[in-house]
Amino acid sequence: MGVRKSVYVLAAAEVEALREAFLAVMGLRDERGYQYHAGLHGLPLPIQCRHGDILFLPWHRAYLYFFELALQDRVPEVTIPWWDWTSATAHQDGLPPTHAAQAREDGRANPLFDSEVLLPQAELELVRERLPGALTDDDPPRTRRDPDLPDELPRDRTIRSILRAPTFSDFSSRLENVHNDVHVWVGGSMSAVPVAGFDPVFWSHHAMIDRLWYLWQLAHPGSLPPAQTLDLALAPFPMTVRQTLDISVLGYEYAVQTS
Amino acid sequence: MVPAASMTTGTAPGVLVADVSFRPTSPEGGRFTRADLVFSGVDHSETSYEVRVFLNNPTADASTPRMAEQGYAGRFVVFGHGGCFGDEGHCELPSEPRARTDLRLAHPLTPQTKLVTVTDALRQILAEQEEGLRQVTLVPVSKDPNRDQRGPTDSLFRFDGLELQTYLTETEEVSTST
Repeated sequence: MGVRKSVYVLAAAEVEALREAFLAVMGLRDERGYQYHAGLHGLPLPIQCRHGDILFLPWHRAYLYFFELALQDRVPEVTIPWWDWTSATAHQDGLPPTHAAQAREDGRANPLFDSEVLLPQAELELVRERLPGALTDDDPPRTRRDPDLPDELPRDRTIRSILRAPTFSDFSSRLENVHNDVHVWVGGSMSAVPVAGFDPVFWSHHAMIDRLWYLWQLAHPGSLPPAQTLDLALAPFPMTVRQTLDISVLGYEYAVQTS
Repeated sequence: MVPAASMTTGTAPGVLVADVSFRPTSPEGGRFTRADLVFSGVDHSETSYEVRVFLNNPTADASTPRMAEQGYAGRFVVFGHGGCFGDEGHCELPSEPRARTDLRLAHPLTPQTKLVTVTDALRQILAEQEEGLRQVTLVPVSKDPNRDQRGPTDSLFRFDGLELQTYLTETEEVSTST
């Protein structure tokens, strides 16, 4: 059973393993690699992520599940850490140090800082035209960030209120708004659906979202997404909504928060 | 519902003011544990943006502090698709309801429903202002990838309308405002 931890409590060796896993996946150009997984969310077409509907949480749980397996194929003990953007540390420092540093302690590039974005030329030109600042001017382009002030991140009291939502639909809708807020807070690539999935911090942001869904599930046993959605497929993943509901079946759990 | 088309322009381009009337006249009408402003038909096809909501402050704009004293009640954020990346017609929504045998998921650009929980702000108005809730001012602000390009927008926020919904639930404190 893999245990997802807060990004703030990872030991140095765990951070290094995570970076090595990202680096290894980024080195693959086929469907095991970073470009494939990042591109499932937005570009290259088709844009497959689900937002603004009842599939938002199940689709992204499936998305992280398959990406985490891809990481574990390279470094077996790795899990995706969550970034608690409500924490006092986040409200003081903004992005977590694991992802904010451009270089590692030994001077090598930090693969959690940014990523290449390999797109068909026509799509890349449209991104540059319509979303200036979403990517760097490099060839090939890389992700970039332009974060807001740390204290503009969502607050714990907002999340506590959302965790009291009585139904899945209400919970999902309100949590998605906070999710959107963090995307635009990071800025750059993260602020636009077509390229957000390429930023390495995307995964830890969504691990936080997935963890909050898990916490809501614990507090509301038996509360499910609407019955008519349970057997919907979550394309392109070979999973239905129902198959995302129990994370123990998916082989992971969330550590108790210690900071 | 207050249709978007019926709203007036505020003191800055893009700002919309909805005239509403919410002044419960009975104790039952003022008993709610939660109040939401629900926005229907919200477009998310372009650049990301947020909409700030002010109550009883028709002169609010993007420079208005997001503080309770200014009538600020909350905001919602739209995570935008950044325009269309397909060929002609790729981003056009189906004009007809799909057949029951059509198992494709809804078009990704189907307009969304957004809500802003305004419980505390509404309670304060009902407690302090005799005429109750009269105006809802909507201030759209773009969320471009570059922070220095963000600001007021009169083009991104398109929606069908809004309505105020109040609830009595078991999980929140009951308001006694009337």
